Amino acid sequence: MAANAIDQTRRMLSLVTYLRERPGAHVADVARAFGITEDELISDLDVLPMCGTSFRGGDLLDIDTDGDRIWWRNPGALSAEASEPLRLAADEATALLVAARAVATLPGLREGDRDALVRATAKLEAAAGEAAGASARLSVTFESEGGVFAEVDRAISERKRLWLRYYSPARDELTEREVDPIRLFAVGHTYMEAWCRLSEDRRTFRLDRVAEIRILEEAAAPPELELRDLSEGLVQPSADDPEVVVEVGPGGRWVAEYYPHDRADELPDGGLRITLRTPDPASLKRLALRLGSDGRIVAPTGLADSAREAAAAALAAYEGV
Amino acid sequence: MAIAKAERLMNLALCLLGTRRALSKRELRGSIEAYLEASGDEAFNRMFERDKDDLRELGLVIETVENLDGETGYLARRDSNRLPPITLDVEEAAALGLAARVWQQARLAGAASGALQKLRAAGMPEAEDAYEIQPGALEPRIPVHEAAFEPLMLACRDRRPVSFEYRKANAARPEPRQVEPWTLECWRGHWYLAGWDRDRGAERVFRLSRITGKVRSRAGAFTAPVPDAVTVRETVESWAGETATRSARIRLRSGCGYPLRARATETREGADGWDELEIPYGHGLDAWLVEFGPDVVVLEPADLRADVVERLRAVAKG
Repeated sequence: MAANAIDQTRRMLSLVTYLRERPGAHVADVARAFGITEDELISDLDVLPMCGTSFRGGDLLDIDTDGDRIWWRNPGALSAEASEPLRLAADEATALLVAARAVATLPGLREGDRDALVRATAKLEAAAGEAAGASARLSVTFESEGGVFAEVDRAISERKRLWLRYYSPARDELTEREVDPIRLFAVGHTYMEAWCRLSEDRRTFRLDRVAEIRILEEAAAPPELELRDLSEGLVQPSADDPEVVVEVGPGGRWVAEYYPHDRADELPDGGLRITLRTPDPASLKRLALRLGSDGRIVAPTGLADSAREAAAAALAAYEGV
Repeated sequence: MAIAKAERLMNLALCLLGTRRALSKRELRGSIEAYLEASGDEAFNRMFERDKDDLRELGLVIETVENLDGETGYLARRDSNRLPPITLDVEEAAALGLAARVWQQARLAGAASGALQKLRAAGMPEAEDAYEIQPGALEPRIPVHEAAFEPLMLACRDRRPVSFEYRKANAARPEPRQVEPWTLECWRGHWYLAGWDRDRGAERVFRLSRITGKVRSRAGAFTAPVPDAVTVRETVESWAGETATRSARIRLRSGCGYPLRARATETREGADGWDELEIPYGHGLDAWLVEFGPDVVVLEPADLRADVVERLRAVAKG
């Protein structure tokens, strides 16, 4: 709750400045300008009449709305000086500057957008003054594959179909497919969400795994899809997916950092017993091989056997060379 | 019903911003209903101190001055609280709108929208669809899943030493660390902290997901100088084996191992269904090569070959 009270206070201070200059402003317009819902704005407008330089006499702000427009009946309750725009706080300058610098480094950003961002960043640094200082203590690098990115970006804006040669690490193979791109996003790596015509399903492609890309003549025709909420994480295993149990020693604890899992139980030797779900357990054979003496697949046994067989076959080659 | 905190903070802010002379605590208590309702002096004092800190977090510069009667007074002078003039065009406003959306961490997301709102109040023009997702526009997102992020961000900002339990990549148990935190950096979606490790007397990089338990603030100032440039990324890249120092020669089954081929400096196609590749590498290549199972055979160097064989034996034993 505390964080909300802070955000709400911050917003109300800016609202006072904004509303003072716009008598009769529309609720919908103000909510859009502030990036909030109309309900949030109305709840701010419920609090503002309780605020002022004193709760006595006529010093409270007489701000009122009929649900459509907003009226401030006594703007004199606050001096013009007291409602000037406020300087940026250190956290505000940091949040906006770090984000702006990170986005400006994205190789796939359109040049016009990048120029605007660089100009805005410089102006913001100047206006933030001292508050900008701490922003150097936070930085973000996005990884992005320039050439592939530009093709995907163009295909999306021109609504064209794409042909890909795409690498699947689970199977160690390149597959060719046609996809209708939906959107591009960057969370650590850069990804394209697309409708895959090969699997007839929505798929997420990591751009650094695209070996080859071509824009096709055909128009893209992805079905109407609700966009996924990226804040829930990229990998969202379903409850029906088969369960895999991996036991790792201390040297294999990184598995719990990289693989979304249902549970990770501590083992007496400092290792972990990790239970996870995946639509395709065979894809974890690579993990079993990589772990070496740092861990092993406990279940399903078929997966553990296939890793053992692969290792034995690999060893045979060393005897021969 | 108790008066909402936002209302109380807003009233205190307006009182401090609206006054030309410093107001004493007594005067403020007389003007703000929530303070008048506080049960007793102690409750009021606690509430007042906390509120002042909260307003300072919001960027308000609140001065403390003593008046002629020796009473302490408070005010937020216009000169120190006014946003300097800033003029942004529609494209610049839209670009900042996009940037403000990248945070997935509540505190920074709130701060970024707060900054935009202040700029809006200062006259920043509105792009038609500033808050809409445009088709084709890239959606960058900065993930923050690590609980240690927020306390460390504040400690970096305020230059406060911290202590925490840290489990190294291959360690079974976490160990206590005392660190002077310098910078946080996000690379490939993971957050890292660079700082001065007091016990080791050296610069160290920590991965936030390996910090276990709470990050605690320590009293006192930094003891080591903060370098002008901190190189988190180089350190992390070498952990990830991306700084190639050596070269390996391997045999790879035709059609397999695309990422190995993409990295190879030389590829010789063989007639026997196998190709020979030259691959530059840093640390960690052995584990990666083992992933390809019977499709890869290491030829040189001998130590890499031995490492791969040893790993394969461990897997074959089960």
